Amino acid sequence: MAHRFTPTALLGLILSASLSFANAETLTISHAMGTAELDAPAQRVVTLYQGANDAAVALGITPVGVVDSWVEQPMYHYLREDLAGVTHVGLETQPNLEAIAALNPDVIIGAKMRHEKIYDQLAQIAPTVMHETVFQFKETLDLVAEATGKTDAAAEWHDQWDARIQSFQTQVSESDVAWPQEVALLNFRNDHARIYYSSFAGNILNELGFERPAGHQEDIWGVKLTSKESIPSMNADVFFMFMTETDPTVMENFNSWTSHPLWNTLTAVQNDQVYRVNEVDWNMGGGPIAAERMIDSVFEHYGLD
Amino acid sequence: MTTHYLFRSTSEALALAVHRQTFKRCLVLLGLTLGLLLLYLCLGSTRIPPMDVIATLISPDTSEHRFVIQTLRLPRGLLALLVGAGLGVSGALLQQLVRNPLASPDIIGISDGAALGAVLFLAWLAGTVSLTWLPPVAIASAAITATVIYGLAWTPGSTTAVAPIRLVLVGIALAAALKAVATLVLVMSPLSTTVQAYIWLTGTVYGAQWQDVTRLLPWTLTLIPVAMLAARALTLLGMNDEQSRGLGLAVGRYRLLLLACSVGLAGSAVAFAGGMAFVGLMAPHLARRYTGQTSTGLILGAGLTGACLVLMADLLGRVAFLPQDLPAGIFVSGVGAPFFIYLLYRRRS
Repeated sequence: MAHRFTPTALLGLILSASLSFANAETLTISHAMGTAELDAPAQRVVTLYQGANDAAVALGITPVGVVDSWVEQPMYHYLREDLAGVTHVGLETQPNLEAIAALNPDVIIGAKMRHEKIYDQLAQIAPTVMHETVFQFKETLDLVAEATGKTDAAAEWHDQWDARIQSFQTQVSESDVAWPQEVALLNFRNDHARIYYSSFAGNILNELGFERPAGHQEDIWGVKLTSKESIPSMNADVFFMFMTETDPTVMENFNSWTSHPLWNTLTAVQNDQVYRVNEVDWNMGGGPIAAERMIDSVFEHYGLD
Repeated sequence: MTTHYLFRSTSEALALAVHRQTFKRCLVLLGLTLGLLLLYLCLGSTRIPPMDVIATLISPDTSEHRFVIQTLRLPRGLLALLVGAGLGVSGALLQQLVRNPLASPDIIGISDGAALGAVLFLAWLAGTVSLTWLPPVAIASAAITATVIYGLAWTPGSTTAVAPIRLVLVGIALAAALKAVATLVLVMSPLSTTVQAYIWLTGTVYGAQWQDVTRLLPWTLTLIPVAMLAARALTLLGMNDEQSRGLGLAVGRYRLLLLACSVGLAGSAVAFAGGMAFVGLMAPHLARRYTGQTSTGLILGAGLTGACLVLMADLLGRVAFLPQDLPAGIFVSGVGAPFFIYLLYRRRS
């Protein structure tokens, strides 16, 4: 049979042409575990760590699957409204692979630090992109934005963030606060205390212009203190402290550290520059919204707006 | 009337005698294990009817459940079985070798050696070196630990080379030292390592892939048969050294061989599944009550019991708190220990 151009064939040609045009828009994303290819910006997103849950919300995306929060389970209060009704796929450390597969996602966002072992299986479910760590909120935001085609929204968020940082620096240097200040980030657990150095909140404090005391400058997450004799090593001009305040054993330990005679020798304590802050915003959230909430509380403590 | 099934090679160099009743009971246990595996494959986030599971196993390509069964549940279930069998047999061999019902790979330092290797790997190499290297590192450090224990327990000039009680005591002491080093490393390492290492120390078969199964399988398939063939010696080693030597056994050589089997089984199991404490202790005791006291029965029984224990624990970990998927190690002790105590309690009367 002779081949003829019929309207149907023509339609087919146009369709295939437009399809190949769409193919040209394939997203190639390079990430901590390699590269992932998406046919189109993802609609159905599964986020496997706290910072990614948060970043999705910041970009106005409602994921189809999220992992449980560390505290305030199953989801941090500040994300609850936005993530109401979203399917949970278990813990960040061992997300339920069957539940993820059942959601039929377009993209999965994970962290190599947590999910390296299951990368192959995740990649069989859907294209998977991973960040190295779980607390680099700006990079997390960019990664989620890239996979979902929301890079404009991400750029807007970055501009807003930079303006907010700028505003703090201008206002604080014009205020009567002796600036810059040395800050220490303290955390109390039920059997020890910690000083955080290069952590989520620590890095943001540095971005705001806070400095770290001489002993706190090493580029590691921080240190664990088990003996109250180490209290002097906490010393700084100002303390921000966070802990799981709903846990009575934590509060008991906190009271025991802060009632130790050495505690009153610390500069921040003597100058009454000790602030208790929310551990979800300062440590657990790990995403852009948590970061904003965190600097809001810094503004508040310094009486700025 | 014959009471034993006898298997022997034509030249009669190798022989294996299995008590009839033991043999039957092992078959029952095997059936139970397979039934449990079927249940394991059915249950999860999505429940799949048994007939569909079997259909998927027979012709995976046409099944809608292919991914869940073939890629997720089956390799994980098989890994759980292999790990449990390895730990169970390892514990049975050790208890018999050192003539002490309290012996198990996690008590005399073998598991702790593997754990230290894994913790060091997670603290220093994870992120730069692929995680597929963790199992070989763990196996190697289990082997090094066992060599050190054997070397320290060795008495020069003694005809039996190592006295069982010295092996146990040196092992316990070394286990304590290794635990201390692992804790120290964890305290000094980044928080993410602590989280990962904690899960590893608890024991988990989460995220198991076919390559894990095929890497562990050779260990189990070689060492358990070797142990079975040396079972006759194992019975004699359970007596005192003079008696067994009097019966013509090369005590030192067989003890070393069986010890090596035990270390290889425990080290390889722990390397792929982490801590999983208590299986090595419990499985042989449970097996003794059902498949009898003979060495072959004990080995087979302990292997199958251990396999069932870990499979059951992982099934609970997967489905008890959906959608959370929890480490099997939690349930091994959580469910196993009370059951074990119940059995001991019942036996009093």
